[in-house]
Amino acid sequence: MQPSDARRTPPDFVQPIPTGPYRGLNPTTKLVIAVAEALVAFTVRGWTGPLAVLLVLATTAVAARLGRRLVPFVIATVPLTASILLVNTFLFPGATDVILRIGPFTPTWSGLEAALQATLRVMAFAMSVAVLVLTTRPDELVADLERRGAPRGVTFVIGATVRTIPRVVQRAGEITDAQRARGLDTQGRLWRRVRGVLPLAAPLIFGSLNEVEELTMALEARAFSAAGRRTTLRVFPDGTGQRQLRWAAALLTAALIVLSIAGRLAFLP
Amino acid sequence: MTDPLVEVRDLVFVYPGGVRALDGVDLQVQPGEKLAIIGQNGSGKSTLVRHFVGLLRATSGEVRVGGQPVGRRHVAELARTVGIAFQNPDRQIFAARVRDEVEFGPRNLGLRGAELQGRAAAALSAAGLEQRLDANPYDLGYSQRKLLGLASVLAMGTPLMVLDEPTTGQDARGVKRVEGLIDELAARGTTVVVISHDMRFVAETAARVVVMRAGRIVDDGPPESVFAEAHWPLLASTYLEPPLAARAGARLGLGSTPTDAALVARALEAGPRGVSRPG
Amino acid sequence: MSLILRDATYRYAGVGHPALTDISLEIVPGSVLAVVGANEAGKSTLCLLAAGLAPTTIGGELRGTVEIDGLATIGARPPELAQRCGILFQNAETQLSGTAATVWEEVAFGPRNLSLPLDEVVERTEAALSALGVEELAPRDPGRLSGGQAQLVALAAVLAMRPAYLVLDEPTSQLDPQGTQLVGSALQRLAQESGAGLLVVEHKTDLLASIAEECVVLADGKIVARGSAGDVLADPRLDEWGVEPPSTARIERAARSAGVQEPMLSALATRP
Repeated sequence: MQPSDARRTPPDFVQPIPTGPYRGLNPTTKLVIAVAEALVAFTVRGWTGPLAVLLVLATTAVAARLGRRLVPFVIATVPLTASILLVNTFLFPGATDVILRIGPFTPTWSGLEAALQATLRVMAFAMSVAVLVLTTRPDELVADLERRGAPRGVTFVIGATVRTIPRVVQRAGEITDAQRARGLDTQGRLWRRVRGVLPLAAPLIFGSLNEVEELTMALEARAFSAAGRRTTLRVFPDGTGQRQLRWAAALLTAALIVLSIAGRLAFLP
Repeated sequence: MTDPLVEVRDLVFVYPGGVRALDGVDLQVQPGEKLAIIGQNGSGKSTLVRHFVGLLRATSGEVRVGGQPVGRRHVAELARTVGIAFQNPDRQIFAARVRDEVEFGPRNLGLRGAELQGRAAAALSAAGLEQRLDANPYDLGYSQRKLLGLASVLAMGTPLMVLDEPTTGQDARGVKRVEGLIDELAARGTTVVVISHDMRFVAETAARVVVMRAGRIVDDGPPESVFAEAHWPLLASTYLEPPLAARAGARLGLGSTPTDAALVARALEAGPRGVSRPG
Repeated sequence: MSLILRDATYRYAGVGHPALTDISLEIVPGSVLAVVGANEAGKSTLCLLAAGLAPTTIGGELRGTVEIDGLATIGARPPELAQRCGILFQNAETQLSGTAATVWEEVAFGPRNLSLPLDEVVERTEAALSALGVEELAPRDPGRLSGGQAQLVALAAVLAMRPAYLVLDEPTSQLDPQGTQLVGSALQRLAQESGAGLLVVEHKTDLLASIAEECVVLADGKIVARGSAGDVLADPRLDEWGVEPPSTARIERAARSAGVQEPMLSALATRP
């Protein structure tokens, strides 16, 4: 094997560079856009804020061909939006424009308007998170943030959290099996099942604590606490255009927040 | 003619992700048997025994415990017949005192007062932990925690006890304790099923060995048969090796000698004739 | 140059009595030292001490010296120790960082932490994967490997640090026979080919007999026997120290006490 054949860059399957409209953007760009969208949706009063954000989101979702994959995120917001709708429509303070009377209940138009606006804000927030999550792999984002100098601890926590969940779930399953095999009743009456909290929780907590200790040692043994920036494996494409976009988004969001708080945006519907 | 304690017929189990962990297993465990199940990880050993207590429900095929089909019976009910001690004691120990840990199982089965304490004491004694009644389980070393896990299931006094990898991570003393515990169970009439990777331990403690590969039983018989030279290719196909005693016996033409004792006995019979096959 | 412990006595933080007393031993590059003993004899503590994790990362009090190629472990920074001595624990899954999407990235984790140039990170990663013969596992998710595979990946991840010494605490304890064989032969190759000095703690004395040159027995935190692996593992006092003798020694002892004569006796004691 010739020395020139030796690999000098990571194989293609390591942090593959995404392609396609929107997906192909630099991970930090996608993050900045998502944060800007979420902030504008919540701080700009009235209909304009959330609707404008939803319009932007709809465009990016179409461009990135997300379609049906957004549905679970929409469904996740239903419990919250349903309660918002009910509470605001029926209990909006100081409203007198009643829609109709149903016994003691008096839904008002002002309440309904506030409810719908609030629902749109929640949807916009959820969708901005959804678009980010569906177009950006966690390790892609972590890698790019690290390259820009984000502290090691922060990026480790983000990366580790994603992967820890299946492990904890599996461990919880093993613990449940062992305790059920000792007669712990998890299928019977509720009061009996309540007694099962300690036998299920204690091993999970202590096991996790023990694991943290061993993981800490294993990480130290691989120089986790060394100073300096970790070697970047993959540079995700960036460009002047994207940099300008990020700055523009940040400045615009900041301006909108300030103006909105100062009440200067009251002219918007 | 009594019913088998556990009977499994054409059992198929497919995990939600699609993995076919059991591919048509037929097995009967008779009361009083000392049975070992061997096979690589992924061969289906743990999956199989979980069906005995209802932790997993068959995708197809039949599972009968205590003569009755498992059906929709609760795990808590099946646990009166089948006790399982799992491999990792730290996935079950939760109490602040050894005493409370051991009493948990029998308490769930409804025992109270003097009878409960008596059972717990007897189980701890069998595991060699009678001195540590009030100790915190996490002050015990790994070996003893593992024995505590065994004692906790032992105390339930079930007719069938399944031990999943009881000797993994144990030192020599711990292994001897486990062997003694199994002998005591058998003497009491408890049916014992052991899952293990330690072939020597299996040959010494089990009267019957079941070999699993890819979700099926590929061999089933006494150690003399399962570890005999004619069965070695089958064992090799499951990446298992017979115990050294069996290999030495075959090499020296002494027949099938799965245990040290059998090997030594045959060697004595062969006597002054010495080695009958070149080494 | 070697990894040397001289009259080392170590006490865990908050514990009254020492876990290890007056330990003196040396790990020489290119050799394998086996450590056996009953559970709680101090074997795991010895591993942590040799790798410098005790007292540097986990605290506790050390008296005496532990030096890795001349660097005293007390006062050294963990990354310095990590490059000189690697450590592998029983449980593969708790050693994997949990942040890598692929095995390749898991193995590259250590070299990246050292801020090495990219081509060196790549070279070390590829070399470690190939030293253990797990190149085809490179694209896989580390969380979905079998026990034996995970342990090999954890070992590759440690090797990527290019330590001169490697400490292994019951590496095959949780593995099935196939996994044990994989890791066992990987260790043998490692000792022969890489020139690293290995310290291996195991209950499986058969495995140790086939890979170790020297052996040390620990009991109650003290060394009670030392010498060549062949001699120590044939010592009749192993039982008393809570150690299972290798199968051949065990069979020979049983045959001898039952009255089996030569030449059958020697024939039985020969490894097939």
